[in-house]
Amino acid sequence: MFEFLIHVSIMACLYGLLSLSLNLQVGFAGLVNFGQVILFGCGTYGAAIAFSHQLGPVAGIALGIVFAVVVAAAFARLGRNLGADYWGIATLAVAEVLRILANNEAWLTGGAQGVSGIPLLFGDKPRPMGPLMTLGLCVALLIAAWWLCQRLTTSRYGLALKLMREEPQLAASLGYDLAVLKTQTLMVAAVLAAASGFVFAHYITFVGPDQLVSSETFLIWAMVIIGGSGNHLGAIVGAILMQFLFAFVPFVKDALGLPSEYVAAMRLTLVGGGLLVFLMWRTQGLIPERIGGKQNG
Amino acid sequence: MIRVNNVRAGYGDGPDILQGIDLTASGGEIVTILGPNGCGKSTLLKCIAGFVRPRGGAVEMEGRDVSAVAVHDKVKHHRMGFVPQTDNVFSTLTVADNVLLGARHLPVPERNERYAELMAQYPSLASKQERKASALSGGERQILSLARALISTPKVLLLDEPSAGLSPLMMHEVFAAIAAIRDRTGMCIVMVEQNAFEALSVADRAYVLSLGKVAIEGRAADLLADPAMRHLYLGGEPPPAEPHPRLAAVS
Repeated sequence: MFEFLIHVSIMACLYGLLSLSLNLQVGFAGLVNFGQVILFGCGTYGAAIAFSHQLGPVAGIALGIVFAVVVAAAFARLGRNLGADYWGIATLAVAEVLRILANNEAWLTGGAQGVSGIPLLFGDKPRPMGPLMTLGLCVALLIAAWWLCQRLTTSRYGLALKLMREEPQLAASLGYDLAVLKTQTLMVAAVLAAASGFVFAHYITFVGPDQLVSSETFLIWAMVIIGGSGNHLGAIVGAILMQFLFAFVPFVKDALGLPSEYVAAMRLTLVGGGLLVFLMWRTQGLIPERIGGKQNG
Repeated sequence: MIRVNNVRAGYGDGPDILQGIDLTASGGEIVTILGPNGCGKSTLLKCIAGFVRPRGGAVEMEGRDVSAVAVHDKVKHHRMGFVPQTDNVFSTLTVADNVLLGARHLPVPERNERYAELMAQYPSLASKQERKASALSGGERQILSLARALISTPKVLLLDEPSAGLSPLMMHEVFAAIAAIRDRTGMCIVMVEQNAFEALSVADRAYVLSLGKVAIEGRAADLLADPAMRHLYLGGEPPPAEPHPRLAAVS
């Protein structure tokens, strides 16, 4: 049970990073990104490609970040010509195209079989020391990401992001370059997501295109909406809550005597139902966005 | 300062809203753009600001063609200020934070200096600078919008219906503030307005648009005194027996 809890905690931290990344985009900058999972995929495939070519983990994280920043730049470029809603659909389409590419370009990505045998970040440490060290790394990453997001969004830069989200025309008329603001936000968010993907790949030791299905994006969306869009702590709480609920679904299934195939359905119901409940009755999420207040810098 | 040459503009694939507009505005004068709803007043202002790109013709600022220059670049490089029509003061921020939103590109000492100057000019804001903007009246919110645009010391100020939604008393206060900006700074102010009487009272020159074209242009005082103009736009006495042919077209 102890190791199971460590596993769930690691996954909660990794999803917490993804949640923070999406929250920065949608909660602060108003960027409705439905292709979030591909930024995570850039990190996983960075690790996988570096491993396949025996380049080592440093090259892996560097590759992952470069991939993610390039995809973020492409997303931002798309945003110059599209309205917010069409841009959201375009990000979903780009993410799907890249997933299909990963599924078919076996020479680079391992194709549908993916890449397995990716080494653990801390080698073959005896259990539970290895997973505990990974958990320590994940917690440190999550705290660092939270600190970075907090610094960014409580500065005048954060105020500019909110201004862009609420009144884009006013922001432009006050001299803010919206294209630059969007690009910067997407790139920071992409680095966070890629870091999560990199650690995930070295923890699970396998990378495949099935990890990049769009339902993963909507799971991250559910975490942000349930936790509280526009609040970093809310995004983290949403991720932890959803991850622990997901982990305990099999126990509920056993208690109710349901067949195993119900587990996936129950998890999807949790995502859809949770989204629906919060969108209808508590749009601000569990920890609402803090409006106003003193800004730094 | 601003020259609009034969500008045509519209939205998407739709027809031209502006059909060959010419307009000039110099430093130290208020030029007001009047006309009935849907005549293209706000589109013209957005065209000058850069929110709408002209399909034909040119917009010049200080002799340079800025038709294709983005709004934020005009703000930074051509010192343009723009106050949109809708009430977009942030109620949850303090008055000070709202004003400072317009000062992102200024170095901190200059920003503080400009802020202090503005507070001296607008005592109604100064007394509430640490309070949330929700505590302001409609007129004060509009003054706050002006202060936010003025903090970056623009040379050109574009105002989209500054009196929208204000009571007559507050409207008077806002127009007085606009006239004071012109007198104090020698700024070039272009203002779109529905309240023609108030706008003409403070403006130096006016353009009256109809169906995307300039129907009348002239000195504001002349238009204010014109019986036909008073009848058509100001709710005044009936027009003379033979109105000006262009006014007849507008009606």
